[in-house]
Amino acid sequence: MIAILQWTTLAVCGIVALARIPSAVRGHNRSLFFLFLLMTLATLLSIAAPYEAADHVLGGTNLANLVLRFLIFACVFILGFRVARGFGAKDALRLITGPVGLAVLGFSSLAVVIVFLMMDTAGSSAGLAEVAGKDARNAALVEFYGAAGRLYPAYVTLALLPAMVRTLASRLPAHVRFSAGLLAVGSIAITLSLLSPVIPPALGFLRFIFNYTAILCLVLGLALIWLGSIMARGTARQKTAPVKISRHNHSQNH
Amino acid sequence: MPLPAKAFQHWLHDVAPATSTADICRTSGIKRTTLAQQLVRGKVAETTLVSISRALQRSPLQELASFENYAELAGNTRPPTPAELVSQIATMDLLRAVIDRSDSAPGGPGADVPAAATPELSPAPHATSVRNWVDAIDDGELRHRVSAATGVAPQNYSAQLTANRLSPELAVATAREAGVGFTGGLVAAGLITEAEAGWPPGARQRALDGLSDGELAALAGERLQTLGKVLRRQEHEQAQTEKIWENLG
Repeated sequence: MIAILQWTTLAVCGIVALARIPSAVRGHNRSLFFLFLLMTLATLLSIAAPYEAADHVLGGTNLANLVLRFLIFACVFILGFRVARGFGAKDALRLITGPVGLAVLGFSSLAVVIVFLMMDTAGSSAGLAEVAGKDARNAALVEFYGAAGRLYPAYVTLALLPAMVRTLASRLPAHVRFSAGLLAVGSIAITLSLLSPVIPPALGFLRFIFNYTAILCLVLGLALIWLGSIMARGTARQKTAPVKISRHNHSQNH
Repeated sequence: MPLPAKAFQHWLHDVAPATSTADICRTSGIKRTTLAQQLVRGKVAETTLVSISRALQRSPLQELASFENYAELAGNTRPPTPAELVSQIATMDLLRAVIDRSDSAPGGPGADVPAAATPELSPAPHATSVRNWVDAIDDGELRHRVSAATGVAPQNYSAQLTANRLSPELAVATAREAGVGFTGGLVAAGLITEAEAGWPPGARQRALDGLSDGELAALAGERLQTLGKVLRRQEHEQAQTEKIWENLG
């Protein structure tokens, strides 16, 4: 079940990234292509088999996990920046690109690196499960490491949430509001993943559900906006006149 | 309050005893599946009855009044007030009337030119028929009374007005609370035509001609202002959507 969710997420991310190659080549919103590419790589690294293969290449010290953290930070930054700009959310934009946002990013990055260096990270293990199993000190460090890694994503998506809720309640086209709804669900899922340390082991599957639901919702929400814009451009070519006042009739009368 | 299916079937049997349902649907342009679904649910839409009445060359208003829940339509045949008639003139027709009057006014740009034949008013309902009708009969408390009488929440009622929709049930209830004839709301809601409502031909034009220049100018101004607001909101939303597409498309 979890494997299906993981590979589905990977496939969706990969397909959207591939689909954006042509527009990226044309130079249109390249950062979105990189966003989807980074999301695909991050999803790939979060699955056990590819993670172990990648980590093997990097020396088997779970360096791949550190790479994964920074991939996620990059994804979240691009996502937050583009979404806040697109949705005209000045508050979110200030929270993400302002001093507070950069401080949270700096703190999370520093914390992740320091805690990583303090751990005994030998032996590739997805989710650092084996590292946590070594002794109590490493177990605690793994929890800190995870919390630091989730801090920045949660900060950015929480900053976006009010703008998404506003859009949901607005009178914008249905597909835009639906996309905003998906992005809002993704934001909430990422925030819920902050609760991972207190989720009892019996409900451990919830961690996976939160993480992958978040990625799926964010990717699908963005892809839907993209599709909507493509479709609108198609119909805009057919009719450009506003419906209410027909200017053509007016000019013909004179 | 759509029509009960049982009463509807009785009615159908009375007005078209020898006609099959398939033929009824064909001549009235109703999808068979739509009618079947309405019958199964036990609620037949008023528009269905109107379409069938038209196909059978019967008066939709009288046929509607033959149902128990619309019986009051038969009792009250008060004609629409001039304000109601004017409310059913499209904004662009009102503006044209303003221009026509100023053209033919002494000293106006077209004073010496024989007035061109004024084009016919476009038939009711128009793009803001429902709200304009309610505004025309509203004494300030009407919306509250309708909400209280029907149990429809004020925001739902308001949403119908904004969407230029009004269920026949609410149209009748609104007319009842306002103390006006029942046909105005049904015409504004697009259920029946002016002719079917028994409005004399040219009634709206005569009501329009009855407005003084000042009244006409003020009314046209109000309508234009509302239109401006709607258009500006649409433009704003369009700009927002395009910004989203520009950044994320």
